[in-house]
Amino acid sequence: MRRYELMVILDPSLDERTVQPSLDQFLGVVRGDGGTVEKVDVWGRRRLSYDIAKKSEGIYAVVDLTAEPATVKELDRQLNLNEGILRTKVIRPELH
Amino acid sequence: MAKPALRKPKKKVCLFCHDKISYVDYKDTALLRKFISDRGKIRARRVTGNCTQHQRDVATAIKNAREMALLPYTSTAR
Repeated sequence: MRRYELMVILDPSLDERTVQPSLDQFLGVVRGDGGTVEKVDVWGRRRLSYDIAKKSEGIYAVVDLTAEPATVKELDRQLNLNEGILRTKVIRPELH
Repeated sequence: MAKPALRKPKKKVCLFCHDKISYVDYKDTALLRKFISDRGKIRARRVTGNCTQHQRDVATAIKNAREMALLPYTSTAR
């Protein structure tokens, strides 16, 4: 088990209230494989420094979780398949 | 003829060593912005005064932040 930090940029056309439930749905993978989700922090709408997929805004969310490496890989894969997600980043904070 | 004595610049201390920050967070854009120029370029160590390890950490953090569009790769504000 390892600690991870996941940052997601979601499509700005989504409703901010639907972000939390839809993220929870993705995080079901982590819970199903014996991992835990410590914190889901939705930053809300934020201006991007440069356009991503012709969009100048994005909804940011940061998730702290503990899981197996394979689980996180699968979670990242599923997130990237979704059209409503512009970008993801997985980081192991204590590595640095 | 004696040359004028070379001006000794004041030795800068690494901000992170001074504040005992061990982990440079890529989400802390307010802090990272101190280490980029107005063009969005990463400032050199001789400008920032950071130690080797922390300059490296800052550079990595800035690059991570750029990937997530928190900081610009280039900014044309000029």
